[in-house]
Amino acid sequence: MNFKVRLALVALIVLVMFILHNSFWLWDLDARVPLLFGFMPFAFSFYAGYAVLALVAMKIIITLAWPDPPSGLFKAAGDREPFKR
Amino acid sequence: MITTVGIGILAVYLSILIGIGVYGARVSLKTKEDYFLAGRGLGSIAVFMALFASNITAFTIIGQAGFSYSVGYGAYGYVIGWSIFITPFTFYLVGYRSWLLGQRYGYATQPQVFGGIFNSKLVSLLFLILLLYYTLPYLVVSVIGGSLAFTTISDGAVPYWLSSIVIITISLIYTIPAGLRGTVWTDIFQGTLFLVVAGLLLAAVAQALGGFTAITERIVQENPAMLYRGLSEDIAPINWFSFSFINSIAVIVFPQMFTRILAARHSFNLKRVSLYYPLAMAGIFGISTLLGVWGSVAIPGLAGKEADNIVPLLIHRFLSPAWMVLGLVVILAVVKSSIDSQLLSVSHLVTDDLLPRVKKVSSGQAVFWGRILLVVFAITAYYIALVRPAAILSIAAFAFSGFSIMLPVMVGALYWPRANKYGACAALIFPAVMLHLWYLEVLPKWTTFGFMPVFPAFVLSIITLVAVSYATAPPPADQREKTFGLFDRVFDYGKGEEPERARETV
Repeated sequence: MNFKVRLALVALIVLVMFILHNSFWLWDLDARVPLLFGFMPFAFSFYAGYAVLALVAMKIIITLAWPDPPSGLFKAAGDREPFKR
Repeated sequence: MITTVGIGILAVYLSILIGIGVYGARVSLKTKEDYFLAGRGLGSIAVFMALFASNITAFTIIGQAGFSYSVGYGAYGYVIGWSIFITPFTFYLVGYRSWLLGQRYGYATQPQVFGGIFNSKLVSLLFLILLLYYTLPYLVVSVIGGSLAFTTISDGAVPYWLSSIVIITISLIYTIPAGLRGTVWTDIFQGTLFLVVAGLLLAAVAQALGGFTAITERIVQENPAMLYRGLSEDIAPINWFSFSFINSIAVIVFPQMFTRILAARHSFNLKRVSLYYPLAMAGIFGISTLLGVWGSVAIPGLAGKEADNIVPLLIHRFLSPAWMVLGLVVILAVVKSSIDSQLLSVSHLVTDDLLPRVKKVSSGQAVFWGRILLVVFAITAYYIALVRPAAILSIAAFAFSGFSIMLPVMVGALYWPRANKYGACAALIFPAVMLHLWYLEVLPKWTTFGFMPVFPAFVLSIITLVAVSYATAPPPADQREKTFGLFDRVFDYGKGEEPERARETV
């Protein structure tokens, strides 16, 4: 898969997560959904689930678009070009 | 009242920190890279705990609980919701590419990374000035919040001014001799301690209030507004949306966070951190949110800044003196783990990016100056903490906003080859000026269109970077090749080069 396509998929994941966070239309459920485990109202338990979703999203992003550096890329540390002030 | 057992717990805790400082000083090399970056050798657990503990401030346990006391369960999603995902994502978006440049060219700070990408001394200087300007208020927030909590838990026996001295002094004990290595080791110890004790504290408070279910039923009956996000003006949708641009995306811009990412040994370490960071942040903010909301019915009637004391008050009123000491240790751990990293990062910035502009310093001399500057900044932070210029959340919001609007330049530098130094300078200066005009109310409120100032300033930063870059000459090809040639080799390695095999080490 082309890396630009992978980056586009990453952007899509970010957009979905952003929309889920700003899902104001779900706020009505604060009054309707019963307490999870007896002590977690919807406004709270939503973000417990969101955290698990975030972990899954990061796993997908890492698999899709986070390659390790090729071997030898940093071997020439001696020829680093220090920042000139 | 603190018992003998309590004094013993405190003594053991402080002894461990001092021991870490002494041992860290013995194993550290007297070089700049070793003192400020731990030789770029941090493994997964070290980077994770360093980022986690550095990002946990007094606000996490004090401010968040106080905010939840006032607005209810919605405070959880408002403050940390978006951050649960986007903060670890920025470790990938900005962190990994910066780490690659740091490994290749030896960059150690943001002024070096972004000054290097744009080949511009002015970009480097602007990063330096802005980061110092925003970090100091953030540092003071930690000192103020921690000192208030320390004083409250000790029932006033330790006055505010003395609490500040204690907190800052203990931070310096291990940071001065051992540098980043000392702060990371203490982060591992203090972060673990914090997670364990905070979890136990939640269970103990729940038990004292009749159990998780009982206290929640009490909230439903006595203060049902806590359950509904739509009832609080503080977290109204437009504020909710705007806050997405403050708390969450600012984290990668904090110099203490950025530096710790550069100090990772391998990309494998950064991946691990990004994967598990969401759960840790969700867990710890969840605890402080529950404590705050429960406090609204257990100790009702607190108003304004009084609400920030809800956690110490819960401990004081419902738990035994032993818990007070544990609470004190947790507060110390939380506050110091952020203060030490902030002090070290501002010292690092001045030593590595300002001092060489006026004086030639060797690597060993840089370590000496770094230690001197740690003390100078500590005294400065103490003085400002005594003056206490504004409420905790307001100062934090101002610093966070300032950091946030620097992110477009960082992302543009790492992803857009057409971005140039003129665009970067304009995008650093213009939105920062506008942010001040909005915060100081020089500009009328309607000019933000109802959003918090950070959102229009963030948009202005993007527009300015793009417009000015397009209006001026593109960067020279060799300059672009230096950055994006490196990225091409990493992100297009399917053309023949093999990725380095990751070695997981702590």
